[in-house]
Amino acid sequence: MKQVVVHPERCVGCLQCMLACATAHSRSRTLPEAVLESPRPRPRVHVGVGCFDEGFPNRCRHCDPAPCMLACLPGAIYRDAQTNTVLIDTDRCINCASCAMVCPFGVLRYHPDVLAPPDKTVAVKCDNCIARQQKGQIPACVEACRTGALTFEPLDGAMRRKTDAVSRTVSAGRREVPPPAGYALLTTIKHEQVRLRSH
Amino acid sequence: MATTQHVIIGNGIAGISAAEVLRAGDPDSAITIIGDESETPYCRPMISLVLEGALGPERLPIRGTDYYQQFGITPVLGRRVTAVDTSRREVHINGARPVIYDKLLIASGADPRPVKAEGRDLDNIFYLRHQAHVRGMLAVMPDARKALVLGGGLVGFKAAYGLLRRGIQVTMLIRSGYPLSMQADAEAGRMVLTELRAHGLEVRVGAEVTAFEGGPAVRAAVLSDGSRLACDLVVIGKGVLPSLAFVRRDQIAVDLGIVVDRHMRTTAPDVYAAGDVAEGMDLARGTRWVNAIWPEAVAQGRLAGTNMAGREVAGEGSLGRNVIRIFGLDIMTGGIVDPPADDDGFTVVSALDPRRRTYRKLVFQKNRLVGMVMVNAIEQGGVLLGLIQSRMPVRLPAETLLANGFNYKQLLME
Repeated sequence: MKQVVVHPERCVGCLQCMLACATAHSRSRTLPEAVLESPRPRPRVHVGVGCFDEGFPNRCRHCDPAPCMLACLPGAIYRDAQTNTVLIDTDRCINCASCAMVCPFGVLRYHPDVLAPPDKTVAVKCDNCIARQQKGQIPACVEACRTGALTFEPLDGAMRRKTDAVSRTVSAGRREVPPPAGYALLTTIKHEQVRLRSH
Repeated sequence: MATTQHVIIGNGIAGISAAEVLRAGDPDSAITIIGDESETPYCRPMISLVLEGALGPERLPIRGTDYYQQFGITPVLGRRVTAVDTSRREVHINGARPVIYDKLLIASGADPRPVKAEGRDLDNIFYLRHQAHVRGMLAVMPDARKALVLGGGLVGFKAAYGLLRRGIQVTMLIRSGYPLSMQADAEAGRMVLTELRAHGLEVRVGAEVTAFEGGPAVRAAVLSDGSRLACDLVVIGKGVLPSLAFVRRDQIAVDLGIVVDRHMRTTAPDVYAAGDVAEGMDLARGTRWVNAIWPEAVAQGRLAGTNMAGREVAGEGSLGRNVIRIFGLDIMTGGIVDPPADDDGFTVVSALDPRRRTYRKLVFQKNRLVGMVMVNAIEQGGVLLGLIQSRMPVRLPAETLLANGFNYKQLLME
């Protein structure tokens, strides 16, 4: 099964995934129209700023067992077995924030949403773009990501690639794994800026 | 081999969570659930939403009406357990033959802490614990004008909020200086108090009820300072106590709750305990503690069920946490929120932002986070609570954790 895999070291913090996510969860599903909609479409992926100003696309891990699912008071959070996606039934959601209390990643948000009953504040988080997947599309954040920080692939393949990359750095006659072009420069600049700010 | 007889005392979330993993892990066993409430499993924390009018009572059940059949559970509902005899492996129930167990789970929950006051048995004086209590309140609500809520803890607080939302005049009596003193610190308590007062709640601090007057329904309360307060509806919300009157203390070790180990085992063989009645290790305090909250009841029930099914799994311990929304305030708290002032082993940092109406407080013990309070902007609260639960040393400056922009990535230093 394919899933969204995050490669934090490649994120440059461009926020395109957030824009694409909000658009994908809008009424019109086009950016120019989405910005005019009410309630305003909001992203389910949140690019947080790290200690060195680096970006990090923080999204629901669809944990199993999922703490939010176990803590949900009205039983509004459930799992779609086919896509291994933890989903929220917004009709049942009571906006109690129990899910935010138990989510160790901080991915829950609370606001009215075009996909929820009108004028109701509900818990909102990543749904793996189930609607897009049903139409044969990949999740919007992955489609928008230009640096490869977000990929849509089977997890074991991504794990193997990562394991291979790590083993190459420790084996005899090792060679450094070159970072993506431009990324090393960007990282150096960000680290330097943080250093200068703190002086 | 004879079928294993699993008996569960308690039809709340701890009991049914245990039954479900038990059924999955031990498909051929017999499971009996004994509960004193006669409804199918429902969500207890949501009853205050029914009082408030935000939900109808039909939204409370969290399992279907065919639940017991579906999981092959024998329900014994509407009956209270009177005694457990571990030497004979018997559970005694009011007016019925004893039930024999091979493995027993005590998930009997908690009962409202009673008040000692004359006239306590007058009509229209309620607890807020069972669905039936809310039904009772709703029945008398059309004639209620002035309500009195005893206690400023979570229950008293939810009762006051619910009645206020119903347009009833509410006076809250609290013994300590501010509401939610068990969950929040003084600053957050003050913010809550201001918010509630702005919405019409009257709060009397430092007073207690000594007697109720009236007949057959309550008409007034006499307070410890000698004053009288007219009221026609009273809610007692002074917290809860583990429900364990049926436990023989020479057979099962009891402190405030039933003492359990990391497998939810009590000191008696093949007897487990979980949920509001259980007292296990507290992750923030490092000592045993009763954390009577819904998510812990789920986790402990599942852990007990897993171990009863024969798979030995140890839990790390529990953490007291709460999240409440009232009018324009969201409050999330967890762990040790008010460390003793004379103990220099704790470091406390806090940030109050009056413009954004946010408040954050973090309590550290050496380099470990052990407590937090958040008022508004609570979305990242789970990350902080996760830090308390994992007991990971915190390498970031405390100010980073306090800042508005704090997010999970910052825990990944490199």
